[in-house]
Amino acid sequence: MRIKFWGVRGSIPAPGPETNRYGGNTSCVSVHTAAGNLIIIDMGTGLMHLGNALLRTEFGKGAGRATILLSHTHWDHIQGLGFFPPVFIGGNQFTVWGPGSSPDVLEQILEGQMDPNFSPLQTLKNLSAKVDVRAALPAFEAEGVRITTREHAHGHTRALSFRVEEAGRSFVYASDVGYPESGPEPAAIAHYANADVLLHDSTYKPEDQATRRNRGFSSYEEACAAAIAAKAKRLVPFHYDQDYSDDAVDGIVAACTALLAPHGIAVTPAREGDELEI
Amino acid sequence: MKVRFWGVRGSIPVPGRATNRYGGNTSCVEVRPRAADPIIIDAGTGIRHLGKALMEGTFGDGRGKASILISHTHWDHVQGLPFFSPLYRAGNQVHIFARQRDMHLEAVFSQQHDAAYFPVPLSAMHADMHFHELVEGARFHIGKAHVTCARLNHPWVAIAYRVDVDGASVVYCSDTAPFTDMLLGRDFIERPSFGTLPPPVQSELAAMRAGVVALAKNADLLIYDTQFTPEEYQARPHWGHSRPDDAIEIAREAKVKQLCLFHHAPMRSDDDNDKILAAARELVSADKFTLVSAYEGLEIPLGDQ
Ligand SMILES: [Zn+2]
Ligand SMILES: [Zn+2]
Ligand SMILES: [Zn+2]
Repeated sequence: MRIKFWGVRGSIPAPGPETNRYGGNTSCVSVHTAAGNLIIIDMGTGLMHLGNALLRTEFGKGAGRATILLSHTHWDHIQGLGFFPPVFIGGNQFTVWGPGSSPDVLEQILEGQMDPNFSPLQTLKNLSAKVDVRAALPAFEAEGVRITTREHAHGHTRALSFRVEEAGRSFVYASDVGYPESGPEPAAIAHYANADVLLHDSTYKPEDQATRRNRGFSSYEEACAAAIAAKAKRLVPFHYDQDYSDDAVDGIVAACTALLAPHGIAVTPAREGDELEI
Repeated sequence: MKVRFWGVRGSIPVPGRATNRYGGNTSCVEVRPRAADPIIIDAGTGIRHLGKALMEGTFGDGRGKASILISHTHWDHVQGLPFFSPLYRAGNQVHIFARQRDMHLEAVFSQQHDAAYFPVPLSAMHADMHFHELVEGARFHIGKAHVTCARLNHPWVAIAYRVDVDGASVVYCSDTAPFTDMLLGRDFIERPSFGTLPPPVQSELAAMRAGVVALAKNADLLIYDTQFTPEEYQARPHWGHSRPDDAIEIAREAKVKQLCLFHHAPMRSDDDNDKILAAARELVSADKFTLVSAYEGLEIPLGDQ
Protein backbone atom coordinates (compact mmCIF):
# COMPACT_ATOMS: atom_id res chain seq x y z
CA MET A 1 0.00 0.00 0.00
CA ARG A 2 1.17 3.53 -0.76
CA ILE A 3 -0.41 6.30 1.28
CA LYS A 4 -0.29 9.94 0.16
CA PHE A 5 -1.47 13.01 2.05
CA TRP A 6 -3.38 15.65 0.06
CA GLY A 7 -5.03 17.52 2.93
CA VAL A 8 -4.17 17.22 6.62
CA ARG A 9 -5.96 20.17 8.23
CA GLY A 10 -9.17 20.20 10.26
CA SER A 11 -12.35 22.28 10.10
CA ILE A 12 -11.47 24.89 7.44
CA PRO A 13 -8.64 25.38 4.95
CA ALA A 14 -5.88 27.53 6.41
CA PRO A 15 -3.89 29.32 3.68
CA GLY A 16 -0.87 31.44 4.53
CA PRO A 17 2.91 31.24 4.89
CA GLU A 18 2.53 29.90 8.44
CA THR A 19 1.03 26.63 7.12
CA ASN A 20 3.32 26.11 4.10
CA ARG A 21 5.24 23.16 5.48
CA TYR A 22 2.41 20.91 6.73
CA GLY A 23 -0.19 22.32 4.34
CA GLY A 24 -3.51 24.11 4.77
CA ASN A 25 -5.90 21.89 2.81
CA THR A 26 -8.58 19.91 4.60
CA SER A 27 -8.73 16.12 4.95
CA CYS A 28 -7.92 13.89 2.00
CA VAL A 29 -5.67 10.82 1.83
CA SER A 30 -5.10 8.46 -1.08
CA VAL A 31 -4.23 4.78 -0.78
CA HIS A 32 -2.84 2.96 -3.79
CA THR A 33 -3.07 -0.77 -3.29
CA ALA A 34 -0.26 -3.11 -4.30
CA ALA A 35 -2.50 -4.20 -7.17
CA GLY A 36 -2.63 -0.59 -8.38
CA ASN A 37 -6.20 0.24 -7.32
CA LEU A 38 -7.16 3.55 -5.75
CA ILE A 39 -8.93 4.22 -2.46
CA ILE A 40 -9.56 7.83 -1.46
CA ILE A 41 -10.34 8.65 2.15
CA ASP A 42 -12.33 11.87 2.74
CA MET A 43 -13.02 14.66 0.28
CA GLY A 44 -11.70 17.85 1.88
CA THR A 45 -10.07 20.52 -0.28
CA GLY A 46 -7.01 18.29 -0.74
CA LEU A 47 -9.19 16.24 -3.11
CA MET A 48 -8.92 18.97 -5.75
CA HIS A 49 -5.15 18.54 -5.88
CA LEU A 50 -5.38 14.74 -5.94
CA GLY A 51 -7.86 15.13 -8.82
CA ASN A 52 -5.46 17.33 -10.79
CA ALA A 53 -2.76 14.67 -10.40
CA LEU A 54 -5.19 11.91 -11.46
CA LEU A 55 -5.91 13.68 -14.76
CA ARG A 56 -2.58 12.33 -16.00
CA THR A 57 -3.82 8.76 -15.48
CA GLU A 58 -6.80 6.81 -16.86
CA PHE A 59 -9.04 9.29 -15.00
CA GLY A 60 -8.08 11.89 -17.60
CA LYS A 61 -9.52 9.64 -20.30
CA GLY A 62 -12.73 8.77 -18.48
CA ALA A 63 -11.58 5.26 -17.68
CA GLY A 64 -10.76 5.65 -13.99
CA ARG A 65 -12.30 3.85 -11.06
CA ALA A 66 -11.89 4.50 -7.35
CA THR A 67 -13.46 3.76 -4.01
CA ILE A 68 -14.05 6.74 -1.73
CA LEU A 69 -14.34 6.18 2.03
CA LEU A 70 -16.09 9.04 3.78
CA SER A 71 -15.65 9.42 7.54
CA HIS A 72 -18.56 11.89 7.89
CA THR A 73 -20.10 14.82 6.05
CA HIS A 74 -18.79 17.87 7.90
CA TRP A 75 -17.64 20.49 5.35
CA ASP A 76 -13.94 19.83 5.81
CA HIS A 77 -14.51 16.26 4.62
CA ILE A 78 -16.69 16.91 1.56
CA GLN A 79 -15.80 20.37 0.21
CA GLY A 80 -13.49 19.01 -2.48
CA LEU A 81 -16.11 16.95 -4.32
CA GLY A 82 -17.34 19.80 -6.52
CA PHE A 83 -13.71 20.67 -7.39
CA PHE A 84 -12.49 17.16 -8.17
CA PRO A 85 -11.77 17.26 -11.91
CA PRO A 86 -12.31 13.51 -12.53
CA VAL A 87 -16.01 13.78 -11.57
CA PHE A 88 -16.55 16.05 -14.58
CA ILE A 89 -15.31 13.42 -17.02
CA GLY A 90 -17.91 10.91 -18.18
CA GLY A 91 -16.86 7.30 -17.86
CA ASN A 92 -15.05 7.64 -14.54
CA GLN A 93 -16.65 5.63 -11.75
CA PHE A 94 -16.66 6.31 -8.04
CA THR A 95 -18.20 4.35 -5.22
CA VAL A 96 -18.60 6.40 -2.05
CA TRP A 97 -18.94 4.43 1.19
CA GLY A 98 -20.01 6.71 4.01
CA PRO A 99 -22.00 7.06 7.22
CA GLY A 100 -25.77 7.16 7.36
CA SER A 101 -28.68 4.91 8.02
CA SER A 102 -29.18 4.43 4.27
CA PRO A 103 -27.53 5.36 0.98
CA ASP A 104 -30.43 7.75 0.29
CA VAL A 105 -29.78 9.74 3.47
CA LEU A 106 -26.10 10.09 2.61
CA GLU A 107 -26.85 11.01 -1.00
CA GLN A 108 -29.30 13.70 0.18
CA ILE A 109 -26.60 15.23 2.36
CA LEU A 110 -24.10 15.27 -0.51
CA GLU A 111 -26.86 16.68 -2.71
CA GLY A 112 -27.37 19.51 -0.20
CA GLN A 113 -23.78 20.61 -0.77
CA MET A 114 -24.64 21.20 -4.43
CA ASP A 115 -27.86 23.11 -3.62
CA PRO A 116 -28.13 26.00 -6.10
CA ASN A 117 -28.02 28.53 -3.27
CA PHE A 118 -24.51 27.31 -2.50
CA SER A 119 -23.04 25.78 -5.66
CA PRO A 120 -23.29 26.52 -9.37
CA LEU A 121 -23.42 22.74 -9.96
CA GLN A 122 -26.99 22.79 -8.54
CA THR A 123 -27.22 19.00 -8.18
CA LEU A 124 -25.06 15.88 -8.03
CA LYS A 125 -26.82 14.81 -11.23
CA ASN A 126 -24.73 17.38 -13.09
CA LEU A 127 -21.53 15.47 -12.39
CA SER A 128 -20.60 13.53 -15.53
CA ALA A 129 -18.86 10.64 -13.79
CA LYS A 130 -20.85 7.86 -12.19
CA VAL A 131 -20.99 8.39 -8.42
CA ASP A 132 -22.54 5.49 -6.56
CA VAL A 133 -23.34 6.27 -2.91
CA ARG A 134 -23.54 3.47 -0.34
CA ALA A 135 -23.88 3.16 3.41
CA ALA A 136 -20.63 1.70 4.75
CA LEU A 137 -20.88 -1.83 6.12
CA PRO A 138 -18.99 -3.05 9.21
CA ALA A 139 -16.77 -5.06 6.86
CA PHE A 140 -16.55 -5.22 3.07
CA GLU A 141 -14.22 -5.75 0.13
CA ALA A 142 -13.34 -2.93 -2.24
CA GLU A 143 -10.53 -2.55 -4.75
CA GLY A 144 -9.41 -6.05 -3.85
CA VAL A 145 -8.69 -5.21 -0.22
CA ARG A 146 -10.53 -5.77 3.02
CA ILE A 147 -12.03 -2.76 4.78
CA THR A 148 -13.50 -2.72 8.27
CA THR A 149 -15.44 0.20 9.63
CA ARG A 150 -16.03 1.47 13.14
CA GLU A 151 -18.55 4.10 14.06
CA HIS A 152 -17.30 6.46 16.76
CA ALA A 153 -18.49 9.55 18.60
CA HIS A 154 -17.54 12.93 17.13
CA GLY A 155 -19.05 15.68 19.27
CA HIS A 156 -22.82 15.59 18.86
CA THR A 157 -22.57 13.39 15.79
CA ARG A 158 -20.93 10.14 14.69
CA ALA A 159 -18.12 9.46 12.25
CA LEU A 160 -16.44 6.40 10.80
CA SER A 161 -12.90 5.15 11.12
CA PHE A 162 -11.58 2.74 8.53
CA ARG A 163 -9.10 -0.10 8.61
CA VAL A 164 -7.67 -1.13 5.24
CA GLU A 165 -5.86 -4.46 5.02
CA GLU A 166 -3.87 -5.89 2.16
CA ALA A 167 -1.49 -8.87 2.20
CA GLY A 168 -1.06 -8.83 5.97
CA ARG A 169 -0.43 -5.06 6.12
CA SER A 170 -2.84 -2.65 7.74
CA PHE A 171 -3.61 1.05 7.61
CA VAL A 172 -6.10 2.68 9.96
CA TYR A 173 -7.68 6.08 9.31
CA ALA A 174 -9.23 7.49 12.49
CA SER A 175 -9.98 11.19 12.13
CA ASP A 176 -12.45 13.41 13.99
CA VAL A 177 -12.55 11.09 16.99
CA GLY A 178 -14.04 12.28 20.28
CA TYR A 179 -13.17 9.91 23.12
CA PRO A 180 -14.77 9.91 26.56
CA GLU A 181 -12.69 11.61 29.30
CA SER A 182 -11.43 8.14 30.25
CA GLY A 183 -9.67 7.86 26.87
CA PRO A 184 -9.93 5.47 23.91
CA GLU A 185 -12.51 2.72 24.44
CA PRO A 186 -11.67 -0.99 24.04
CA ALA A 187 -13.66 -1.17 20.78
CA ALA A 188 -11.49 1.60 19.32
CA ILE A 189 -8.30 -0.13 20.41
CA ALA A 190 -9.52 -3.39 18.88
CA HIS A 191 -10.11 -1.61 15.57
CA TYR A 192 -6.60 -0.14 15.58
CA ALA A 193 -4.87 -3.25 16.95
CA ASN A 194 -1.34 -3.88 15.63
CA ALA A 195 -1.83 -1.48 12.73
CA ASP A 196 1.28 -0.91 10.65
CA VAL A 197 0.16 2.69 10.34
CA LEU A 198 -2.38 4.38 12.60
CA LEU A 199 -3.40 7.74 11.18
CA HIS A 200 -5.11 9.47 14.08
CA ASP A 201 -6.90 12.72 14.80
CA SER A 202 -4.44 14.99 16.64
CA THR A 203 -6.40 18.21 16.33
CA TYR A 204 -5.43 19.70 19.67
CA LYS A 205 -2.72 20.20 22.21
CA PRO A 206 -4.15 18.94 25.52
CA GLU A 207 -4.44 22.48 26.93
CA ASP A 208 -6.55 23.62 23.97
CA GLN A 209 -8.69 20.50 24.03
CA ALA A 210 -9.53 21.07 27.69
CA THR A 211 -11.82 24.00 26.81
CA ARG A 212 -13.27 22.37 23.68
CA ARG A 213 -13.86 18.73 24.55
CA ASN A 214 -17.48 18.94 23.35
CA ARG A 215 -16.27 19.47 19.78
CA GLY A 216 -15.34 15.82 19.47
CA PHE A 217 -11.68 15.93 18.46
CA SER A 218 -8.66 14.17 19.95
CA SER A 219 -5.59 15.66 21.52
CA TYR A 220 -2.21 14.32 20.45
CA GLU A 221 -1.97 12.70 23.90
CA GLU A 222 -5.09 10.67 23.18
CA ALA A 223 -3.68 9.74 19.76
CA CYS A 224 -0.50 8.50 21.46
CA ALA A 225 -2.49 6.63 24.13
CA ALA A 226 -4.44 4.91 21.35
CA ALA A 227 -1.26 3.98 19.49
CA ILE A 228 0.33 2.53 22.63
CA ALA A 229 -2.75 0.56 23.71
CA ALA A 230 -3.27 -0.77 20.16
CA LYS A 231 0.44 -1.62 19.77
CA ALA A 232 0.51 0.24 16.48
CA LYS A 233 3.87 0.31 14.69
CA ARG A 234 3.62 3.91 13.49
CA LEU A 235 1.47 6.90 14.38
CA VAL A 236 0.54 9.55 11.83
CA PRO A 237 -0.81 12.66 13.60
CA PHE A 238 -3.51 14.28 11.42
CA HIS A 239 -6.31 16.92 11.21
CA TYR A 240 -4.37 19.77 12.83
CA ASP A 241 -6.37 22.71 14.16
CA GLN A 242 -6.73 25.51 11.61
CA ASP A 243 -5.12 27.99 13.99
CA TYR A 244 -1.91 25.99 14.49
CA SER A 245 1.11 27.27 12.60
CA ASP A 246 3.79 24.93 11.28
CA ASP A 247 5.83 25.65 14.40
CA ALA A 248 2.91 24.60 16.60
CA VAL A 249 2.55 21.37 14.60
CA ASP A 250 6.31 20.78 15.00
CA GLY A 251 5.62 20.92 18.73
CA ILE A 252 2.88 18.28 18.45
CA VAL A 253 5.16 16.01 16.45
CA ALA A 254 8.01 16.38 18.92
CA ALA A 255 5.69 15.66 21.83
CA CYS A 256 4.31 12.53 20.10
CA THR A 257 7.81 11.34 19.35
CA ALA A 258 8.83 11.76 22.99
CA LEU A 259 5.73 9.90 24.21
CA LEU A 260 6.04 7.01 21.75
CA ALA A 261 9.80 6.43 21.49
CA PRO A 262 9.91 4.39 24.75
CA HIS A 263 7.29 2.08 23.20
CA GLY A 264 9.17 1.65 19.95
CA ILE A 265 6.40 3.37 17.97
CA ALA A 266 7.53 5.57 15.11
CA VAL A 267 5.95 8.94 14.32
CA THR A 268 5.45 10.29 10.80
CA PRO A 269 3.43 13.49 10.73
CA ALA A 270 0.85 13.92 7.99
CA ARG A 271 2.20 16.56 5.65
CA GLU A 272 0.68 17.57 2.32
CA GLY A 273 2.48 15.87 -0.56
CA ASP A 274 4.28 13.28 1.59
CA GLU A 275 4.01 9.59 0.85
CA LEU A 276 4.29 6.56 3.07
CA GLU A 277 4.87 3.01 1.86
CA ILE A 278 3.53 0.16 3.95
CA MET B 1 -12.78 55.22 5.20
CA LYS B 2 -10.44 52.32 4.76
CA VAL B 3 -10.97 49.31 2.52
CA ARG B 4 -9.08 46.19 3.57
CA PHE B 5 -8.88 42.83 1.77
CA TRP B 6 -9.09 39.66 3.92
CA GLY B 7 -9.84 37.15 1.14
CA VAL B 8 -9.35 37.71 -2.60
CA ARG B 9 -9.77 34.23 -4.08
CA GLY B 10 -12.71 32.75 -5.98
CA SER B 11 -14.31 29.29 -5.87
CA ILE B 12 -12.26 27.50 -3.19
CA PRO B 13 -9.48 28.37 -0.73
CA VAL B 14 -6.02 27.49 -1.98
CA PRO B 15 -3.35 27.12 0.69
CA GLY B 16 0.26 26.65 -0.37
CA ARG B 17 3.52 28.37 -1.21
CA ALA B 18 2.27 29.43 -4.65
CA THR B 19 -0.37 31.72 -3.09
CA ASN B 20 1.57 33.24 -0.19
CA ARG B 21 1.70 36.76 -1.60
CA TYR B 22 -1.84 37.25 -2.91
CA GLY B 23 -3.36 34.90 -0.35
CA GLY B 24 -5.48 31.77 -0.61
CA ASN B 25 -8.61 32.77 1.33
CA THR B 26 -11.94 33.30 -0.41
CA SER B 27 -13.77 36.60 -0.77
CA CYS B 28 -13.99 39.02 2.12
CA VAL B 29 -13.52 42.80 2.07
CA GLU B 30 -13.82 45.13 5.06
CA VAL B 31 -15.04 48.67 4.56
CA ARG B 32 -14.30 50.67 7.67
CA PRO B 33 -15.88 54.12 7.76
CA ARG B 34 -14.02 56.63 9.94
CA ALA B 35 -14.89 56.12 13.63
CA ALA B 36 -17.77 53.78 12.81
CA ASP B 37 -18.72 50.09 12.78
CA PRO B 38 -17.30 47.82 10.09
CA ILE B 39 -19.22 47.02 6.93
CA ILE B 40 -18.04 43.64 5.67
CA ILE B 41 -18.61 42.52 2.10
CA ASP B 42 -18.84 38.75 1.70
CA ALA B 43 -18.00 36.05 4.20
CA GLY B 44 -15.55 33.75 2.43
CA THR B 45 -12.79 32.13 4.50
CA GLY B 46 -11.01 35.50 4.82
CA ILE B 47 -13.64 36.59 7.36
CA ARG B 48 -12.15 34.17 9.92
CA HIS B 49 -9.08 36.39 10.22
CA LEU B 50 -11.11 39.60 10.21
CA GLY B 51 -13.17 38.10 13.05
CA LYS B 52 -10.04 37.47 15.10
CA ALA B 53 -8.89 41.05 14.55
CA LEU B 54 -12.31 42.38 15.59
CA MET B 55 -12.24 40.30 18.78
CA GLU B 56 -9.24 42.41 19.87
CA GLY B 57 -11.61 45.39 20.06
CA THR B 58 -15.20 45.93 21.25
CA PHE B 59 -16.38 42.59 19.77
CA GLY B 60 -14.18 40.80 22.30
CA ASP B 61 -16.38 41.94 25.15
CA GLY B 62 -19.69 41.70 23.33
CA ARG B 63 -20.15 45.34 22.48
CA GLY B 64 -19.44 45.20 18.76
CA LYS B 65 -21.74 45.88 15.86
CA ALA B 66 -21.06 44.80 12.27
CA SER B 67 -22.96 44.62 9.01
CA ILE B 68 -22.22 41.95 6.42
CA LEU B 69 -23.27 42.49 2.82
CA ILE B 70 -23.43 39.17 0.95
CA SER B 71 -23.10 39.26 -2.85
CA HIS B 72 -24.62 35.77 -3.12
CA THR B 73 -24.52 32.57 -1.10
CA HIS B 74 -22.13 30.44 -3.17
CA TRP B 75 -19.72 28.71 -0.80
CA ASP B 76 -16.75 30.92 -1.56
CA HIS B 77 -18.78 33.90 -0.27
CA VAL B 78 -20.24 32.37 2.91
CA GLN B 79 -17.91 29.58 4.04
CA GLY B 80 -16.21 31.69 6.68
CA LEU B 81 -19.37 32.77 8.50
CA PRO B 82 -19.45 29.79 10.92
CA PHE B 83 -15.82 30.69 11.78
CA PHE B 84 -16.48 34.40 12.44
CA SER B 85 -15.64 34.62 16.15
CA PRO B 86 -17.81 37.69 16.96
CA LEU B 87 -20.88 35.52 16.31
CA TYR B 88 -20.00 33.31 19.27
CA ARG B 89 -19.99 36.21 21.74
CA ALA B 90 -23.27 37.31 23.33
CA GLY B 91 -23.96 41.01 23.03
CA ASN B 92 -22.44 41.50 19.60
CA GLN B 93 -24.87 42.62 16.92
CA VAL B 94 -24.44 41.32 13.40
CA HIS B 95 -26.68 42.41 10.54
CA ILE B 96 -26.56 40.21 7.45
CA PHE B 97 -27.82 41.63 4.15
CA ALA B 98 -28.32 39.47 1.06
CA ARG B 99 -30.55 39.17 -1.92
CA GLN B 100 -33.96 37.66 -1.39
CA ARG B 101 -34.08 33.90 -2.09
CA ASP B 102 -36.92 31.43 -2.50
CA MET B 103 -36.81 30.81 1.21
CA HIS B 104 -36.05 33.19 4.04
CA LEU B 105 -32.38 34.11 4.33
CA GLU B 106 -32.14 32.76 7.84
CA ALA B 107 -33.22 29.37 6.49
CA VAL B 108 -30.56 29.55 3.77
CA PHE B 109 -27.84 30.32 6.29
CA SER B 110 -29.19 27.68 8.69
CA GLN B 111 -28.61 25.05 6.01
CA GLN B 112 -24.90 25.81 6.17
CA HIS B 113 -25.09 24.96 9.89
CA ASP B 114 -27.15 21.79 9.43
CA ALA B 115 -25.86 19.07 11.76
CA ALA B 116 -24.77 17.02 8.76
CA TYR B 117 -22.27 19.73 7.75
CA PHE B 118 -21.24 21.73 10.80
CA PRO B 119 -21.23 20.97 14.52
CA VAL B 120 -22.81 24.22 15.76
CA PRO B 121 -26.37 25.15 14.69
CA LEU B 122 -27.02 28.75 13.63
CA SER B 123 -29.51 29.06 16.47
CA ALA B 124 -26.72 28.39 18.96
CA MET B 125 -24.65 31.39 17.89
CA HIS B 126 -24.77 33.79 20.83
CA ALA B 127 -24.57 37.10 18.98
CA ASP B 128 -27.69 39.00 18.10
CA MET B 129 -28.14 38.21 14.37
CA HIS B 130 -30.49 40.02 12.04
CA PHE B 131 -31.20 39.06 8.44
CA HIS B 132 -32.17 41.70 5.88
CA GLU B 133 -33.49 40.65 2.48
CA LEU B 134 -32.66 42.85 -0.46
CA VAL B 135 -33.75 43.22 -4.06
CA GLU B 136 -31.78 44.95 -6.81
CA GLY B 137 -32.05 48.70 -6.59
CA ALA B 138 -32.49 48.71 -2.80
CA ARG B 139 -30.96 51.76 -1.07
CA PHE B 140 -30.42 52.00 2.65
CA HIS B 141 -28.18 53.42 5.34
CA ILE B 142 -25.78 51.65 7.66
CA GLY B 143 -24.95 54.38 10.16
CA LYS B 144 -23.65 57.30 8.14
CA ALA B 145 -22.86 55.08 5.11
CA HIS B 146 -25.22 54.95 2.15
CA VAL B 147 -25.52 51.56 0.42
CA THR B 148 -26.96 50.83 -3.02
CA CYS B 149 -26.97 47.65 -5.09
CA ALA B 150 -27.39 46.28 -8.61
CA ARG B 151 -27.95 42.86 -10.13
CA LEU B 152 -25.07 40.86 -11.64
CA ASN B 153 -24.92 38.19 -14.33
CA HIS B 154 -24.19 35.07 -12.31
CA PRO B 155 -25.76 31.63 -11.77
CA TRP B 156 -28.59 31.94 -9.20
CA VAL B 157 -28.01 35.73 -9.19
CA ALA B 158 -25.43 37.83 -7.35
CA ILE B 159 -25.58 41.51 -6.46
CA ALA B 160 -23.01 44.32 -6.51
CA TYR B 161 -22.82 46.88 -3.70
CA ARG B 162 -21.79 50.52 -3.55
CA VAL B 163 -20.93 52.13 -0.24
CA ASP B 164 -20.72 55.93 -0.05
CA VAL B 165 -19.26 57.35 3.14
CA ASP B 166 -16.67 59.86 4.37
CA GLY B 167 -16.78 61.69 1.04
CA ALA B 168 -15.72 58.65 -1.00
CA SER B 169 -17.22 55.58 -2.63
CA VAL B 170 -16.30 51.93 -3.08
CA VAL B 171 -18.08 49.49 -5.41
CA TYR B 172 -17.85 45.70 -5.00
CA CYS B 173 -18.74 43.88 -8.18
CA SER B 174 -18.22 40.10 -7.77
CA ASP B 175 -19.27 37.60 -9.17
CA THR B 176 -20.38 38.42 -12.70
CA ALA B 177 -20.02 37.30 -16.29
CA PRO B 178 -19.82 40.01 -18.93
CA PHE B 179 -23.19 41.14 -20.25
CA THR B 180 -22.76 39.96 -23.82
CA ASP B 181 -22.98 36.23 -24.41
CA MET B 182 -25.51 34.71 -22.07
CA LEU B 183 -28.00 35.60 -19.36
CA LEU B 184 -27.29 33.62 -16.23
CA GLY B 185 -30.01 32.93 -13.72
CA ARG B 186 -31.78 29.87 -12.49
CA ASP B 187 -31.11 27.47 -15.35
CA PHE B 188 -28.21 25.09 -15.23
CA ILE B 189 -26.28 25.37 -18.49
CA GLU B 190 -24.44 22.21 -19.36
CA ARG B 191 -22.93 23.20 -22.68
CA PRO B 192 -22.64 26.89 -23.47
CA SER B 193 -23.06 28.23 -26.98
CA PHE B 194 -22.15 31.64 -28.38
CA GLY B 195 -25.16 32.17 -30.66
CA THR B 196 -27.13 35.36 -31.28
CA LEU B 197 -29.36 36.08 -28.31
CA PRO B 198 -33.11 36.74 -28.60
CA PRO B 199 -33.81 40.51 -28.41
CA PRO B 200 -35.49 40.37 -24.97
CA VAL B 201 -32.43 38.65 -23.50
CA GLN B 202 -30.15 41.19 -25.18
CA SER B 203 -32.08 44.05 -23.69
CA GLU B 204 -32.15 42.46 -20.24
CA LEU B 205 -28.36 42.09 -20.35
CA ALA B 206 -27.96 45.65 -21.63
CA ALA B 207 -30.09 46.93 -18.76
CA MET B 208 -28.07 44.91 -16.25
CA ARG B 209 -24.85 46.33 -17.66
CA ALA B 210 -26.21 49.87 -17.55
CA GLY B 211 -27.16 49.24 -13.92
CA VAL B 212 -23.60 48.20 -13.07
CA VAL B 213 -22.09 51.21 -14.89
CA ALA B 214 -24.51 53.52 -13.06
CA LEU B 215 -23.67 51.91 -9.72
CA ALA B 216 -19.94 52.40 -10.36
CA LYS B 217 -20.31 55.97 -11.70
CA ASN B 218 -17.32 58.08 -10.56
CA ALA B 219 -16.48 55.60 -7.80
CA ASP B 220 -13.16 56.09 -6.04
CA LEU B 221 -12.59 52.34 -6.07
CA LEU B 222 -14.17 49.61 -8.19
CA ILE B 223 -13.45 46.02 -7.05
CA TYR B 224 -14.26 43.67 -9.95
CA ASP B 225 -14.41 39.91 -10.56
CA THR B 226 -11.57 39.10 -12.99
CA GLN B 227 -11.33 35.36 -12.39
CA PHE B 228 -10.89 34.44 -16.05
CA THR B 229 -8.31 34.85 -18.78
CA PRO B 230 -9.88 35.35 -22.24
CA GLU B 231 -9.25 31.66 -23.10
CA GLU B 232 -10.86 30.44 -19.90
CA TYR B 233 -13.87 32.65 -20.54
CA GLN B 234 -14.34 31.17 -24.03
CA ALA B 235 -14.43 27.69 -22.50
CA ARG B 236 -16.70 28.60 -19.55
CA PRO B 237 -18.87 31.64 -20.28
CA HIS B 238 -21.65 30.06 -18.20
CA TRP B 239 -19.65 30.03 -14.96
CA GLY B 240 -20.43 33.68 -14.36
CA HIS B 241 -17.01 35.34 -14.21
CA SER B 242 -15.26 38.15 -16.12
CA ARG B 243 -11.87 38.95 -17.62
CA PRO B 244 -9.69 41.98 -16.83
CA ASP B 245 -10.81 43.48 -20.18
CA ASP B 246 -14.44 43.45 -19.02
CA ALA B 247 -13.53 45.18 -15.77
CA ILE B 248 -11.52 47.81 -17.66
CA GLU B 249 -14.42 48.58 -19.99
CA ILE B 250 -16.80 49.11 -17.08
CA ALA B 251 -14.17 51.19 -15.24
CA ARG B 252 -13.74 53.45 -18.28
CA GLU B 253 -17.42 53.97 -18.86
CA ALA B 254 -18.12 54.61 -15.20
CA LYS B 255 -15.08 56.93 -14.96
CA VAL B 256 -13.83 55.36 -11.73
CA LYS B 257 -10.60 56.55 -10.12
CA GLN B 258 -9.18 53.16 -9.26
CA LEU B 259 -9.86 49.62 -10.45
CA CYS B 260 -9.00 46.54 -8.38
CA LEU B 261 -8.76 43.05 -9.91
CA PHE B 262 -10.42 40.56 -7.56
CA HIS B 263 -11.72 36.98 -7.12
CA HIS B 264 -8.57 35.37 -8.50
CA ALA B 265 -8.92 31.86 -9.92
CA PRO B 266 -7.87 29.15 -7.45
CA MET B 267 -5.20 27.68 -9.73
CA ARG B 268 -3.56 31.08 -10.28
CA SER B 269 -0.09 31.29 -8.68
CA ASP B 270 1.31 34.58 -7.37
CA ASP B 271 3.49 34.81 -10.47
CA ASP B 272 0.45 34.29 -12.72
CA ASN B 273 -1.35 37.08 -10.89
CA ASP B 274 1.68 39.38 -11.30
CA LYS B 275 1.59 38.75 -15.05
CA ILE B 276 -2.14 39.38 -15.30
CA LEU B 277 -1.73 42.64 -13.40
CA ALA B 278 1.18 43.76 -15.62
CA ALA B 279 -0.76 42.96 -18.80
CA ALA B 280 -3.85 44.79 -17.55
CA ARG B 281 -1.73 47.83 -16.63
CA GLU B 282 -0.45 47.94 -20.21
CA LEU B 283 -4.05 48.14 -21.39
CA VAL B 284 -4.83 51.14 -19.20
CA SER B 285 -1.57 53.04 -19.62
CA ALA B 286 -3.45 55.85 -21.40
CA ASP B 287 -6.39 55.82 -19.00
CA LYS B 288 -6.92 58.17 -16.09
CA PHE B 289 -7.56 55.51 -13.46
CA THR B 290 -5.02 53.46 -11.53
CA LEU B 291 -5.13 49.69 -11.48
CA VAL B 292 -4.24 47.32 -8.64
CA SER B 293 -4.73 43.63 -7.96
CA ALA B 294 -6.22 42.59 -4.62
CA TYR B 295 -4.09 40.68 -2.16
CA GLU B 296 -4.71 39.69 1.46
CA GLY B 297 -3.72 42.58 3.70
CA LEU B 298 -4.03 45.26 1.01
CA GLU B 299 -5.49 48.39 2.59
CA ILE B 300 -6.75 51.29 0.50
CA PRO B 301 -7.60 54.56 2.26
CA LEU B 302 -10.37 56.59 0.58
CA GLY B 303 -11.87 60.03 1.32
CA ASP B 304 -11.78 61.39 4.88
CA GLN B 305 -9.50 59.45 7.16
ZN1 LIG C 1 -12.89 17.33 10.33
ZN1 LIG D 1 -17.29 33.51 -6.14
ZN1 LIG E 1 -20.49 32.56 -7.36
